[in-house]
Amino acid sequence: MEPILKVRDLIVEYAVREGILQVVSKASLDALEGQITALVGESGCGKTTLIDGIMGTLPPNGYVRGGQVFFKDIDLLRLSERERQKIRWERIAMVFQAAQNSLNPVLRVADHFIETVEAHKRGLSKKEILEKASELLRKARLDPEVVLRSYPHELSGGMKQRVIIALSLILDPEFLILDEPTSALDIYTQSVIIDLLRAIHKEKNLSMLLVTHDLSIVAELAHRAAVMYAGKIIEVTDVNSLFHDPKHPYSRGLIGAIPSLIEDLSHKKPIPGNPPSLLNPPPGCRFHPRCPYATDKCKKEEPPLVKVNGGLVACWLYE
Amino acid sequence: MALGGFLRKLPYFFITLLVATTLMFFIVRNIPGDVTYVLADQIREEMGVTYEEALEIAYVMYLGFRPEEPLYKQYVDYLLNLLRGNLGYAYSFRMPVNDIIIQALPWTLLVLSLALGISFAIGVVLGLLIAWRRGGILSPVVTAYAAFTDAMPDFITAMLLYIFLAVRLGLFPLKGAYDPDIVPGFHPAFILSVLHHAALPICAYVVEHIGLWALMMKGSATSTLEEDFVRAAVARGLPERRIMMSYVGRNAILPLVATLAIQLGSMLGGSTLVERVFSYPGIGYFFAEALMRRDYGLMQGLFFLIIAGIIGANLIVELIYPILDPRVRRETR
Amino acid sequence: METVSVEEGFRGRLSSLYYNILKPILANKRATVGLFILLGFILMATIGPILVPLDLTMRWSERFKPPSLEHPLGTDYAGRDIFQQIVHGSRDVLTIAFLAASFAIAIAVTIGTLSGYLGGIVDYVLMGVTDIFLTIPQLPVMLMIAATVKVSDPVSFSAIIAIWMWAGLARAIRAEIISLRQKDFIEAAKVLDLGTGHIVFKELMPNILPYIVINFVTMMRVAITASVGIMFLGVAPLSVTHWGVMLNMAMFAYGAIYVPSGIHYALAPLLFIVLLEYGAVNLAHGLDEVFNPRLRRYE
Repeated sequence: MEPILKVRDLIVEYAVREGILQVVSKASLDALEGQITALVGESGCGKTTLIDGIMGTLPPNGYVRGGQVFFKDIDLLRLSERERQKIRWERIAMVFQAAQNSLNPVLRVADHFIETVEAHKRGLSKKEILEKASELLRKARLDPEVVLRSYPHELSGGMKQRVIIALSLILDPEFLILDEPTSALDIYTQSVIIDLLRAIHKEKNLSMLLVTHDLSIVAELAHRAAVMYAGKIIEVTDVNSLFHDPKHPYSRGLIGAIPSLIEDLSHKKPIPGNPPSLLNPPPGCRFHPRCPYATDKCKKEEPPLVKVNGGLVACWLYE
Repeated sequence: MALGGFLRKLPYFFITLLVATTLMFFIVRNIPGDVTYVLADQIREEMGVTYEEALEIAYVMYLGFRPEEPLYKQYVDYLLNLLRGNLGYAYSFRMPVNDIIIQALPWTLLVLSLALGISFAIGVVLGLLIAWRRGGILSPVVTAYAAFTDAMPDFITAMLLYIFLAVRLGLFPLKGAYDPDIVPGFHPAFILSVLHHAALPICAYVVEHIGLWALMMKGSATSTLEEDFVRAAVARGLPERRIMMSYVGRNAILPLVATLAIQLGSMLGGSTLVERVFSYPGIGYFFAEALMRRDYGLMQGLFFLIIAGIIGANLIVELIYPILDPRVRRETR
Repeated sequence: METVSVEEGFRGRLSSLYYNILKPILANKRATVGLFILLGFILMATIGPILVPLDLTMRWSERFKPPSLEHPLGTDYAGRDIFQQIVHGSRDVLTIAFLAASFAIAIAVTIGTLSGYLGGIVDYVLMGVTDIFLTIPQLPVMLMIAATVKVSDPVSFSAIIAIWMWAGLARAIRAEIISLRQKDFIEAAKVLDLGTGHIVFKELMPNILPYIVINFVTMMRVAITASVGIMFLGVAPLSVTHWGVMLNMAMFAYGAIYVPSGIHYALAPLLFIVLLEYGAVNLAHGLDEVFNPRLRRYE
């Protein structure tokens, strides 16, 4: 299986009042075609910035400092804005975090679909566009008659999220990036969305990159997972291995911290300490201040990603 | 569908109008009575009635109530008069106030609507552009300009324009709404003359307020730009123009629409001074004249008109706003 | 337990005053500019009239002289020195501005705080009244009142101006109080049963103090505009040297602006009005930037 998305040594920085903040530091990952790849990490580890860097949706004070991003064989970072516009949505689509606010409050849902398709000049009539949209909405268990006519504020959070997902599929993209698609939603809506994503993936064999901090989503949907910490990718492996045999101490901490219905919770330990400030990251391996296995080498040199048992880990324990 | 907010605000506006008229009523009762006596003398001569009768006629015609009746009856008479559309009598002009209004109102409306329209349109576009370009050359220029004009009261701007452009350079007329030698009508000469005379007053307002709209729009657009739905629109590959207009523009303009009514109110209030500076015969000019001549009948009639105008403007904005912002509409699905 | 001497305590408070308040203010360009302009005018208003005598004798032969060493700003329609009038007028203008702003702030703070803190029907009624005052435009009402009621001294004049200035501020203060009311330290004070008076004066007020100061400056500016405007129309000629009256004379009497050198008679008060307002606006904005961190964003 070919990697449909290749990220190599990506560096993304923000210009803030205190200086330059490097949020993504030489991150590398592959997303394989036909698979759902999860990007896991705590809040603030740089996941959203990473995908913003890929899509080109960084806020004005953010920029890509270095690295490469290949979509199939196109170098995304070298494209002009116009070319990027073509790729956006037609080939790579994105579902934003807190998608509740991703819709224009003064436009109806139908307008969103129409303008998106027309922006890419497919030559379809309004009727045809809305028919396709209705089909997608129905798959998301929404009533197109009602939803298309509605304004965003008339829909519930879960409905909006499903509209956004339908909107992302309107141009039949090859790759879908989702940023926390289920956060801030109730459990029932979450399960509806998970079912929807699974169905879409099955039907179109759609490759996805799923960014989340919720490990249960990873377990339900993803085939592969990349773990991110303090701006770096520290482990990439298939989901089974991640849950049963996490290699990086951080991954181990994450998996170990998952509460279970049957285990004795008093044995559960959170990872001690806090994620480092990205203005002044610790030298060497960024996890070493919190790592129970830290050695001197860990404090001085940064470990590269090395192959271990069909996955990748960045840790001196696996040299 | 869009009437919800409008209907809710309606009684409030009526109350305001009532309070304003009551205020006027009490102010007017407080005036020195000598003016009425003079008028009464005249009436007695012209109509050959007794002094008492003349006095009564003077009171009624001039102020709208009979002084010897009990207070509440005076008040009711006064209100009824207003409702009947009789806004009083302008003693110093020997005309009913309504006649003066018919002459003067069109000019004020012309100037104010053009002024508000132009300054709003240009200001909003400027503000949007500055926010969109995140700075650039325009930003500090406009900000400095706005800061400066903000500090100048509008009649000062008016005076400066008048002194330099009209008096000194003679580029613009010194008074009036149109050249008295031209016969009014819908022909180019007249229209040109009207515009020539209205140009400076309009300029005064525009120069004064353009900065305000630009800065407001800039602020609103800047925070709209950070909204998620704008980022989402970029991610969807929508063209820049569409995003600027339908996403940023339409959303950012909403808070400004609410300010339109307030601005119109302050412009209407300030028209007294500005029109006086230019000797432009609009409502404000005659209000100033009424003040200077102590013509209380005209004063209160025009005051009522100004208040009614402001309340009217507020109501119109209430009606327009739901059309622009679907979130405010009352739903009937 | 160590005790601090009164002197040390006082010095401590002074230095905290300096560091917390003066220093950030002076660091802000706009505020400093505004502050200096205003101080200049206050100086002009207080000691100016003592230093510069006012000579109102009419010398018709001297009318409309251009600026010279003898008459730094020229002479008016009656040959009187304009500079003297400006200096003396500054006292009138600033007095009225100060008084009016004080009255307006007092009313606004009282109504706003009561409304915000007590809520309920008090809030409803007070805000209803406030809204009415907000809708009715300031200038026409004040003009009418000034035209009908005999205004003879600065205090009553300032009061009239203040009546229509407080409304907007009252609403804003009420909003601030409402947001403060929810905060933890107020809850704590209530639990500790510190009494409504204490809560209002010792807890709430200090938090809105910067806000009040900023608005005081703004109110002063509004009052200046209003008073000049009213005088400009000749409605309440309180004193000959008030800048508004000077403008009135310049525009409408004795054809000042039509005479080439008479223009100074109009420009001088204009200039000083603009300068004063500019100072006030900058000070207000600058203080706002200093005390309101939300405004300080990287551009």
